[in-house]
Amino acid sequence: MLKNYFKIAIAVLKRRKFFTFISLFGISFTLTILMVGVAFLDKVISPDYPDYKRERSLYVTTMEMSNSKQGWLNRSDVSFYFLDHYVSRLKNIEMMAISSNARSSNAYVNNKKIVIDYKHTNADYWKVLEYRFLEGKPYTQSQIDNAEYVAVISIKTKQAYFGDEPKVVGKYISADNINYRVIGVVDNVPKTLHGLAGDMYLPYTVAKDNYNKSELMGGFNAVLLAKTKADIPKLKEEFDQMMKKIPIPTNEFDTLYSHADTYFTSITRRIAGDGKDSGTSAVIGIVSLFVLLFLLLPTINLVNINITRILERSSEIGVRKAFGASSKTLVYQFIVENMILTFLGGLIGLFLSAFVIYFINDLQLIENVYLKINFSVLLYSFIACLFFGLLSGVYPAWRMSKLNVVKALKAQ
Amino acid sequence: MLKHLFKLIWNKRKQNFLFLSEILVSFLVIFAVFSFLTFYYQNYTKPLGFEYKRVWAVNYDNEGLTKNTDSLQIFYHNLKNSLKAMPQIEEVSLSSANFPYSNSNISTSLNKDGKRFDWVNSYTDAEDYAKVWNIKLIAGRWFNEDDKVTKNKSIIINETLQTAIFGKSSAVGQLLGDYGNKSRMKVIGVVRDIKANGDFWPAGNAMFNRSDTSDLRYTQNILLKVNEDANAAFESELYKFMTNTFKNSTIGIEHLTEMRDAKNEVTIIPMIIFIIIASFLIINVALGLFGVMWYNINQRKGEIGLRRAIGASGNSVSYQLVQEALILATLSLAVGCFFAVQFPLLNVFNVPSSVYLIAILLAVVFIYLLVFACALYPGKQAAAIHPAIALHEE
Repeated sequence: MLKNYFKIAIAVLKRRKFFTFISLFGISFTLTILMVGVAFLDKVISPDYPDYKRERSLYVTTMEMSNSKQGWLNRSDVSFYFLDHYVSRLKNIEMMAISSNARSSNAYVNNKKIVIDYKHTNADYWKVLEYRFLEGKPYTQSQIDNAEYVAVISIKTKQAYFGDEPKVVGKYISADNINYRVIGVVDNVPKTLHGLAGDMYLPYTVAKDNYNKSELMGGFNAVLLAKTKADIPKLKEEFDQMMKKIPIPTNEFDTLYSHADTYFTSITRRIAGDGKDSGTSAVIGIVSLFVLLFLLLPTINLVNINITRILERSSEIGVRKAFGASSKTLVYQFIVENMILTFLGGLIGLFLSAFVIYFINDLQLIENVYLKINFSVLLYSFIACLFFGLLSGVYPAWRMSKLNVVKALKAQ
Repeated sequence: MLKHLFKLIWNKRKQNFLFLSEILVSFLVIFAVFSFLTFYYQNYTKPLGFEYKRVWAVNYDNEGLTKNTDSLQIFYHNLKNSLKAMPQIEEVSLSSANFPYSNSNISTSLNKDGKRFDWVNSYTDAEDYAKVWNIKLIAGRWFNEDDKVTKNKSIIINETLQTAIFGKSSAVGQLLGDYGNKSRMKVIGVVRDIKANGDFWPAGNAMFNRSDTSDLRYTQNILLKVNEDANAAFESELYKFMTNTFKNSTIGIEHLTEMRDAKNEVTIIPMIIFIIIASFLIINVALGLFGVMWYNINQRKGEIGLRRAIGASGNSVSYQLVQEALILATLSLAVGCFFAVQFPLLNVFNVPSSVYLIAILLAVVFIYLLVFACALYPGKQAAAIHPAIALHEE
């Protein structure tokens, strides 16, 4: 039966080429935009270089103090002291990667200015996060303890600073008027990885300012690695218990928040949340509302065209009904036909989005971000096709099944 | 005639319902696009109000500096003099972090006769702003030595704030309360608006303060106006000089031209993506409308043939079809305008009503043109129908 439907669908598509073109144009372009959006979301959400252990990682980024009576609020990144003095004592942590926010400094080579975003990190940073070392190796705990002026630089910095030199380990890079010995070169990190992107990584002990002031707010963030995925809820619970015991430093404020969030929650909290609310539901709600609104216009358009095309086929429907086909069968047939059309559009959309993604990667619209179509993107696109096909097929099918036999036949 | 057309439309209400909703949604999308474009265009045409070219911003950490206010004042005095002594530097100004095109924002509220004015951008350390940015005074005067010892702190406000508080009368010499309405501040001058958030955003309310002795402890930025001789080699020298001056700090030097580009990009890039998506939606809709009308005309061959047979000219037939489409569009637009008009009425997003009204007007014209263009060809085709053939088919 399905084979028959397929044949009919193809025959109908061939009959009025202009309408087929309109339908396919609408479907494929709509799905292209959805697919590119999905590829981007996938890039942001799923584990990616160098952060492959997201499943058993929790992210500590912000500290928020507020005065609930006056409505004052003070929000900032957490301090090294907070991480070192409180968080590192939690039992369920296997390792903790600490790094400062990227701050930019300038270097001048051959009368050219290079802007270098540098981060100060601890030694475990290199174990929690799996940077690809193209040359050399990371600094060790003893190098940090000795406050050695060593640096791990990104390939981008290497090219900008040293030009075409093949090996740069052991050479010196002068940034901020200090000479650092390069001991490693790593692959670039996408800018979308808020807490990890940088051009140069340095031991935290060489920071110019006092990194270990006993304040809760500072310029650091951390990735907490649990031993197993199952330990994540325990670690979260332990972190929240710990937060309750930390005294609030001034009496200007009466509440203190900091959270160890999973990667997705850490993003939504940054976009739409605050100390109390993780912002997950707000972000998901807004994104789905936006997608629905975006789908509305192409859907109405497709419904409109589909109905027009059904009227054209009233005689076929009349005959089938006269020979005893139930409304259900007809609805089913029409939805299948519409699905075939949608998937055809989806296929074209896939090619188009591959093209658009190639374009985005090639132009480097977002620094160091390379989108790709992988299995999960395909899966989501398939779901999008299914959803779109149903959305635009149900109403016309229902209208078709309501067609009066006598009228339909008489129209001929 | 109109009544007749309405009857025709009413007879096909089920089919027309989809047509109507499609136009309605398109109108709302176009209205959104035009609202943005009008808003940006209106701001874009306003003068910038200051000069950003050849201005560099230096930022540093102030942690290692002395906390003693007197020695800090001497320190900055000497620093300014040694910077000014460099031949490439024309002007020097200290600045709070929220200088134009920076990503920082410091706002406060002002009080006048019990009324509060919120979201006032407050620039501190601004006594040399006029020279570095070349900001134009329109009334009163800029800061001078007398302002150090006044009873009420002297401030300078911009045109927008003057209009907001004082309407058409002059603000110079007037007193304003600070955010808690505790101490008074005296307006000594009014300057032209400066579009500090990029070319596409309004200047908003702004006030400029001299630095108090206590403000200097928080200062982390120095603005420099350089001349044409300032190249990368000079910048490298300046960088060394600054790192030696601020021993415990990281120095960043940024060019305001680049910061301006970055600021504008934040507005332009999402807008381009929005316009691309919207135009694809509109092409989609246009093709859909065109297809449906074309099909409908083929369906109505009998009716059109009959009209032609009893003497209607081809033109009047195509005129009728275009008119029908335009009436449908009018119905949708009436509903659409009802929603759109709520924006200026409820003052949504605090955008001037003129933006929304212009956007509504443009969107209405756009939709009419779109529907007209989509109906034109099918209408022409209808005019070409030969009565004999059409009636023969019946």
